[in-house]
Amino acid sequence: MRRVDRRTFLKGVGVVSAAAAASAALPGVALPTNPALLQGDQPGPIWKKTPCRLCGVGCGLLVAVQNGRAVAVKGDPDSPVSKGLACVKGYNSVQALYGPDRLTRAKVRRGGSLVDVPFGEALDLVARTLRETLQKHGKNSVAIYGSDQWTIPDAYIASKLFKGALGTNNVETSTRLYAASAMTGLQSSFGLDGAIGCYEDVDHADIIVLWDVNLAESDPVLFSRMLDRKRINPAVRIIDLSTRTTRTSYASDHTLLHAPHTAPAIANGICYEIVARKWVHREFVDQHVAFKRGRVDIGYGLTEDTLVQDNASDASWNEYVTFLADYEPKRAQELSGLSAASIRWLASLYGDPLRKVMSIWGRDVNQDVRGTWMNNLLYNIHLLVGKVASPGNSPFCTPGQPSGGSAVHDAGTLTHTLPRGVVQNEEDRRRAADLWGVSAETIDPEPTGPAMSTFRRLEQGDVRFLWILATDPMVSLPNLDRYRRAATREDRFIVVSEAYPTPTTDVADVVLPAAMWLEREGIYANAERRVQHFERMVAPPGDATSDAWQMIEIARRLGFEKLFPYEPRLHVEQIWEEYGRFHTEPQTALPPIAALRAQPGVIWPYVDGRETRWRYNPLHDPAAAGNRGAFDFYGHPDHRAWIWLRPHEPPAESPDREYPYWLTTGSVLEHWGAGSMTQRVPILHRALPHAYVEINAEDARALRIRNRETVRLVSRRGSLELEARIDYRSQPPQGVVFVPWFDEARPVNRLTLDASCPLSGQPDTKCAVRLERLPVRSGT
Amino acid sequence: MSAPDRHATALGLRLYLIASAVTAVVAAAVVAKRAPAARSPAPALLGVASVTPPEEPIRAEAQVFRTSPAMLAIEPTARRERSAHPRTLATVRYLRAYPGAPPRIPHPLTADEFRTDACKTCHERGGFSVRFSAYVPVTPHPERGICLQCHVGVDSVIGAPAPDPNPNARCPMCHGASGGPPRPDARVTWPTTVWPQLPKLIADRDPPPIPHNLQFRENCLTCHAGQAAVAEIRTTHPERANCRQCHVALDPAAGTFTRPVNDVAIATGDAP
Repeated sequence: MRRVDRRTFLKGVGVVSAAAAASAALPGVALPTNPALLQGDQPGPIWKKTPCRLCGVGCGLLVAVQNGRAVAVKGDPDSPVSKGLACVKGYNSVQALYGPDRLTRAKVRRGGSLVDVPFGEALDLVARTLRETLQKHGKNSVAIYGSDQWTIPDAYIASKLFKGALGTNNVETSTRLYAASAMTGLQSSFGLDGAIGCYEDVDHADIIVLWDVNLAESDPVLFSRMLDRKRINPAVRIIDLSTRTTRTSYASDHTLLHAPHTAPAIANGICYEIVARKWVHREFVDQHVAFKRGRVDIGYGLTEDTLVQDNASDASWNEYVTFLADYEPKRAQELSGLSAASIRWLASLYGDPLRKVMSIWGRDVNQDVRGTWMNNLLYNIHLLVGKVASPGNSPFCTPGQPSGGSAVHDAGTLTHTLPRGVVQNEEDRRRAADLWGVSAETIDPEPTGPAMSTFRRLEQGDVRFLWILATDPMVSLPNLDRYRRAATREDRFIVVSEAYPTPTTDVADVVLPAAMWLEREGIYANAERRVQHFERMVAPPGDATSDAWQMIEIARRLGFEKLFPYEPRLHVEQIWEEYGRFHTEPQTALPPIAALRAQPGVIWPYVDGRETRWRYNPLHDPAAAGNRGAFDFYGHPDHRAWIWLRPHEPPAESPDREYPYWLTTGSVLEHWGAGSMTQRVPILHRALPHAYVEINAEDARALRIRNRETVRLVSRRGSLELEARIDYRSQPPQGVVFVPWFDEARPVNRLTLDASCPLSGQPDTKCAVRLERLPVRSGT
Repeated sequence: MSAPDRHATALGLRLYLIASAVTAVVAAAVVAKRAPAARSPAPALLGVASVTPPEEPIRAEAQVFRTSPAMLAIEPTARRERSAHPRTLATVRYLRAYPGAPPRIPHPLTADEFRTDACKTCHERGGFSVRFSAYVPVTPHPERGICLQCHVGVDSVIGAPAPDPNPNARCPMCHGASGGPPRPDARVTWPTTVWPQLPKLIADRDPPPIPHNLQFRENCLTCHAGQAAVAEIRTTHPERANCRQCHVALDPAAGTFTRPVNDVAIATGDAP
């Protein structure tokens, strides 16, 4: 049991009774549990700008600060992302700072339970254990696991400490779980990471195709921008291509359903039709596109520790046409369940030279054993018809976390990356070593393994010390029970920096209280490469400290004071300036902090005071050379974008007689990520208090399952009891069930399979399950 | 019937019985074999030619997007008329026996109107009614056929002539000749539960959650937008298409969030 000291208890009682009194006065209306709001004689609040914390869209918010507390939120009308709008999470986001069980003291596990210790003592213990583990088991026995919820300075410090100072490439983040395939997809198709276009594409597009993304719930403000686009121009069409009928479907003009794991067949079917009908933009393809064939025998990443290296070999146009012969729309229909007529119709929209088309996808496409391939295939469609890198013509991925556009992609927090470039490249290593002031030999040229491998090596004992920050892997990892057991093995030392107790702090040996968004200065970068700054607006509670500063403290205790000479009040600015020295060329140039402070976000590359909204387009991108025609895909040495011959392949696990249902997982409007923040916001918790399983009405009838009855979901990994919901928020087709993953008490990842895309290391989240009624009747 | 005939009949009967028994046994075997399959139906997605959406949409979800201000008879440029009687929360509550009850009909109906259920002529899209000198409230569920099944008038108003276009002449209809509070016979006095309260909104603060049940009221704009909307609950931003992006319905059963357990045994999945 968690101990509650008297002060916390009294404080909690005060908050609860104030809220209770308020709810009694206003039944049915949730009030912020903030006593300051209930008093009248306050000085007026001060409004300050910040990006929203609770997804990857990066809406601009204005937060009111009064008496040292964040008390209210409104949308920032100056924000080019959200133009004054927010969603229910954004409006209530600041309440996430004030949950009653906020961690304010460092904790150390003694005799099986966590006890409060002085912050410095906990840091000493972490530093000592880290040093001992390094000495005893070697440099690759220590690892750090962060997330894209890190601000960019946090991520940069993690990379500098572990890769530059300690010399291990055991640096990974939860981005591996959400957006790694988006990154490898961009890398392989265009040679460079980072979005090609930006949100402004929505304002220009005539056709918006949503590929397996319930945008109305996962990225609501971006979706509202699409509805706005349609209101202004009623000819715009939003097409929802999905594995279930959702709120997004009802707001869209057309809904096209297909079976899970079959999008590659649809994408290739569209390409087949585009080629067969001669809708290919010949001039664009001849001038700017190369065809490549990659490896096909890549497996499912179930046991391998390292990523599969793709071998690109040249392919010809004729080979590509031959490859597509397998995806004639009738054949694609057999594979996907989407009618051939729909596939032909989609192709006609992509192929229409008079219409600008935007494709949007997210977590569902990326979390696939062939996630990298699927990203390539979506780029293929756009490249065939030349609809890329110009306003409104945009293949676009929404990564999902607040730093999805920069922290991991650039600050070097994946095993193979450096703040610029990759560890395998000698020039990149030398640049990093010079800027960090370490010897070039310190940086290991061999990447270790992706996130799943980090936890597998923790299980095997190759990793003994793991520091987890700003993420909740004991909810978010697939095949959860396996990795929960791995984390609790003897002789493993787990440090967790968190703001609230979570299933991850439950397995920790040391818990460090983390300062949250608004309690420290920070910089995020969203899905459209927009870098946004926020200042420290309120004081963190108790001993809570930012992740960056916790890592700096550990570095200093390990004897690296000279590498981390930052001053507490200025460290964010100093780190940003240092990070900027990695990115001086126009391909990736970062904005100076003065620009970030002055504006609600600046898109990189930022050259001579100008944002680059569309990359590879000489009209917009100063890095693109005009002498190569309308586009210059400078990411690849041949200055071409690559169309990959990527087949449709079956997933690692499909429904069968024993486990006859597809399980799909995803987000809901009210909660974000593993829910440790949004569940503590009263209005969000009350709007959706727990996870459920959505079942098709026909399936429920056949199984004699009633609405709101508790049922058991069983997979080969484990089982989970959930409330059955029929026609609640979404309607899965027959044979598919859906479970949201935000609920730590009902973690759906106990069922999922830890197979992953062998190229990106991103795990899959769809697997086969069986439904069982409760209680089990005798004789059956 | 001759003896051989009888013999043949008996043989036929016997054969028939044997065949029936065999069929029954086979059928039983088939049923027995299929029984587990009934508990876990054959995987619908394996080998199925097309994935189709359910026939009935989820009303609470689909209806939000059904109307837009452009589809309702709300014309921003139209001349603003003065309503004979303001629609306020007080009048709304006055016409309902309890929160969520179908409102009673406050105005006279001709006998013809009563017979033909012609309400939707005015109440489907709204607009200004010269006959009643009022903006017409819009029904959130125009697809329901028989309005008078749930919405009833007061006996005395049915068959009554249309009111005097002069608004002042109409007041006595409810308030009596001497004015004052509405006549008790126009209202059902029945003690009921508390009405959803309006949150006291601080300017630019959080969007209020939905305080009422959504059944038959799934489309927000019909009641919350336009001139007929009750002043206190009229949205300032009817052009926003997705109301429920910001306004969420609360689960009445939900309390405050508490961690269910805080224990390593649960974390490792070993506990029940």
